[in-house]
Amino acid sequence: MKRITVFLIISIFSFYMLSGCGDESKDDGKTKVVFWHSFVSSTVPALNALIKDFEEQHPHITIQAQYIPTGDALVQKLITSIQSKTAPDISWLHAHYMEDLVKADAIYKMEEFINGPNGISQEDVEDIYPALRQYASWRGTLYSIPMEATNLALLYNKDMFRAAGLDPEQPPKDWDELKDFARKLTFDKDGDGKLDQVGFFLPVYPAAGPLGAWMLWQFHPFLWQAGGYKIDLEQTHVMYNEEAGVQALTLWQEIYQDLKLSVFTSDYDVAFASKNLAMAMDGPWNLPRYEEILKGMDWAFAPLPTGPVKSATIVGGEYLAIFKQSKNPEAAWEFIKWIIEPEVQAKWAMTSGYLPIRRAVLDVPEFQEYLEENPNFKVFVEQMDVGQAERPIDFGGMEIMRHMMDAIERATLGKQDVRKALEDAAKLSNKVLNDAKAKRK
Amino acid sequence: MKFIKTLNISKSVLKHIVIYALAFITLAPFVWMILTSLKDMSEIFVYPPQWFPTEFRFDNYSKAFEAAPFGRYYFNSIFIAVTVTFGQLVTCSMAAFAFARLQFPGRNILFYLFLGTMMIPYNVTMIPSFLVLYWLGWIDTYYALIVPGLASAFGTFLLRQFFITIPKELEEAAYIDGATKLQVLRTIIVPLAKPALATLAVFTFMGVFNDFIWALIVINSEDMQTVQLGLAIFRDRYLTQWDLLMAGSVTAVLPILIVFFFAQKYFIQGITLSGLKE
Amino acid sequence: MIEDNTNIAKKNFFSFGKRGDTKSKNNMRKRDGLSAVVFLTPTMIIFLTFILFPVIFSFYLSFHEWNMFSSEATYVGIDNYKRMMQSNEFWSVLKNTGIYTIGTVPLNMIVALLVAMALNKKIKGKKFLRTAFFAPVIISPVAAAVIWRWIYDPNYGLLNYGISFFGVGSINWLNDPTAAMFALIIMGVWKTFGINMVLFSAGLAGIPETYYEAADIDGAGKFSKFWHITLPMLAPTTFFIMIMSMISSFQVFDLVYVLTSGGPLGSTKVLVFYVYEYAFKFFEMGYASAVAYVLFVILIILTLLQVRYMKNRVHGAF
Repeated sequence: MKRITVFLIISIFSFYMLSGCGDESKDDGKTKVVFWHSFVSSTVPALNALIKDFEEQHPHITIQAQYIPTGDALVQKLITSIQSKTAPDISWLHAHYMEDLVKADAIYKMEEFINGPNGISQEDVEDIYPALRQYASWRGTLYSIPMEATNLALLYNKDMFRAAGLDPEQPPKDWDELKDFARKLTFDKDGDGKLDQVGFFLPVYPAAGPLGAWMLWQFHPFLWQAGGYKIDLEQTHVMYNEEAGVQALTLWQEIYQDLKLSVFTSDYDVAFASKNLAMAMDGPWNLPRYEEILKGMDWAFAPLPTGPVKSATIVGGEYLAIFKQSKNPEAAWEFIKWIIEPEVQAKWAMTSGYLPIRRAVLDVPEFQEYLEENPNFKVFVEQMDVGQAERPIDFGGMEIMRHMMDAIERATLGKQDVRKALEDAAKLSNKVLNDAKAKRK
Repeated sequence: MKFIKTLNISKSVLKHIVIYALAFITLAPFVWMILTSLKDMSEIFVYPPQWFPTEFRFDNYSKAFEAAPFGRYYFNSIFIAVTVTFGQLVTCSMAAFAFARLQFPGRNILFYLFLGTMMIPYNVTMIPSFLVLYWLGWIDTYYALIVPGLASAFGTFLLRQFFITIPKELEEAAYIDGATKLQVLRTIIVPLAKPALATLAVFTFMGVFNDFIWALIVINSEDMQTVQLGLAIFRDRYLTQWDLLMAGSVTAVLPILIVFFFAQKYFIQGITLSGLKE
Repeated sequence: MIEDNTNIAKKNFFSFGKRGDTKSKNNMRKRDGLSAVVFLTPTMIIFLTFILFPVIFSFYLSFHEWNMFSSEATYVGIDNYKRMMQSNEFWSVLKNTGIYTIGTVPLNMIVALLVAMALNKKIKGKKFLRTAFFAPVIISPVAAAVIWRWIYDPNYGLLNYGISFFGVGSINWLNDPTAAMFALIIMGVWKTFGINMVLFSAGLAGIPETYYEAADIDGAGKFSKFWHITLPMLAPTTFFIMIMSMISSFQVFDLVYVLTSGGPLGSTKVLVFYVYEYAFKFFEMGYASAVAYVLFVILIILTLLQVRYMKNRVHGAF
């Protein structure tokens, strides 16, 4: 009896709860724009300030920012919201599923707004860093607009440089120096056979991240620095197995084996903070954290070393798209248009710690001052000029990436010869490309 | 004789030592999580890892709770978990009784169908399940979080296996006295199956409370979010706020621990046949 | 007396068979049919709508190509199945899943049963102990992975520290293809044996004390009691645990996702991780569903084999 009573109470209560919710947007004639993002909680205050600025300048629009967990969660949320016709007006998205969104006719082409009555000039569009524009596009057509940028630079410990007899103001300039310094910075202090300090870090397994994404991210700059590419522009065959790929992977293999990275921890940031690691590649997102936890240590960021052919780093970012299910695409565009204005970008970069998406931001005086005060941040911003984007692969991209990841893993772990590993992977990748082509016919 | 006695005592001591050692090993990661939640960020970034923080700090907890309206999230999570748990206990014990005690055509096939549905991984049924909810118009309601959980193949199977072990003789007497099947289930089977019901309650509560992906896709409104969705805000594509995540995780474990602690007296409640006739 | 008890146990043991009680069978069956409708209706409504329909829907999808974003799926016949059979990766993933299952299920069950039996005896602090053994089940996989990565750390990890006493050098547990699977199995057992411990505890609690008392009167030894009372009486629970452990280890996903992501060199990539990759990384829901159905067939076969084995044991020599 008691059980039944409890159950009844719960049912009544739940009925009340269920009917109680479902408050409609009774926003006094304002246009509501739902904006999905995945900013970590420490960035949220900056985002809220940004939105407040926008709403003050555009009193007829309210932005409802909604946090969606990152990665797969965002993808699953996008899929189900599109299927249930509850897609947001604006959402973050990433290049690897843009193809599917376009094919499902879920997002607008940006040119519809750029060339529209409330558009922006072509110069404004071209002011956005090319690498970001490439990521924001699918097959040459712009389907999204970047909101912020990131890239990779070299983090190093100046104290360790001094201790090893190296000039702390001269971080490695090229591959040879990188290899040489990394070796000099690696040693076994107490002679117990374990390395107490390691010179450089490569995020090979298990630090490679899901599907090796983090590892591939760090490998790409080396491929480019040697003059290589992942794939040809026409997407007929992969190119990562060519000479540049061999050089880059050989460098990785040598460093990985020399520094015995196979028995080193996978948490490079922890190792760096505890003075077990002298150099690593890292992005601007960790800057605020390092400033907090690396007090009392002399450290800095430097541009990535130059390769045999050129300087290059990899660029990333978050991209905003407008969904066709949106009831207020114009208002959504208003927000995106505003966000990429140089002054807004400057303020957003200074408060969020992300990099600006366009060059004109560098001319904003406050931003200039900010860069002088924050030399580490400046390194990242300046590197945007040599920033590159991965060439897109329209069909079977993820599978090809996995073959590439396998090859890097095999070679660095010393399971296979560099050339052989790349050749094997390239064969598989080319098969994927050909199969996809055959299917389309 | 004395020798045997001391042997017994030392055996018992040994048994205690072994089992407590095992318990500490399994518990160590848990303790680590709690200690980490009391650390400053700079103490988390220490290699080799240190067990104890230099000072016990509770700011991570207050910071974590400021990051999102966790009070509301806790209410939602607990409300949903409690409702589903009660519902499942009722539906599963009824279905399990049918499978364990009633003779009807197609029983075995139906039972295997139940079992079979557990063998398809969630990854591929998730989107179709979502579509059903969408067709029903239940997206972004509590129904979406509660109703699909009200039946469970796992729970039915679990209870059926326990009901089988209950001697039939006990029911026969009741039937002779003119009891209906529902009465038999309520007055004889359910009291005897308390260990199993308590087990199911714990598992269901835990499963619903810890669910992330289902709540993620069916809920949009801010005021209907659950604890597990809230915890995700401490991680993004590039970095994880370990200090806050650990603090959040510790508090998210507490409701389940409480439920477990209270339910456990039923796990061990042995039954005596003589006691039943009272 | 012991014989009698085991007979009761045997009779109730695994009543999949069609034999009902001999008395008033027909009459009973008719009434049973009606009651069954009443008892099953609540479950069936929900089961058909929210569980069975999606399962059938994904079977339908396994003959299609669908990226989930678009509103239509393209029919491709048995292409997805053909492609799977031709894929080397599929077979290696299947093998990994098999290794994981063989590695975890028996170990898990033995540890769980031993702990449950120990906790059924006179031991101080049972509540604490039981909670301690259950704690790993509750802890979030993400938090668990952080801790286990540290345990497996090649330089300072507890595990290497432990084995260094035996003169074994540093092993990077997560970096070596053989060791990584081993590392995953250990973590898997740690994370899940608490579930089975609770189930076994409940099963043990369900054995009427009188059976043991009767056995004591007959002067049965500990081992005899375990063999003649505990094991047979626990058989339905054991069967349940075996089936569920098999299903869940064949479907292991979370732990792989957080600890190894399927590496190194694909050595810990298991079936459901593979399904997940195809579904939510490559957006090929059709292929993912096809793989899921192969998993389904394997599990059904294994389950039926176990049912047969259990039945034979009941009617064979005990």
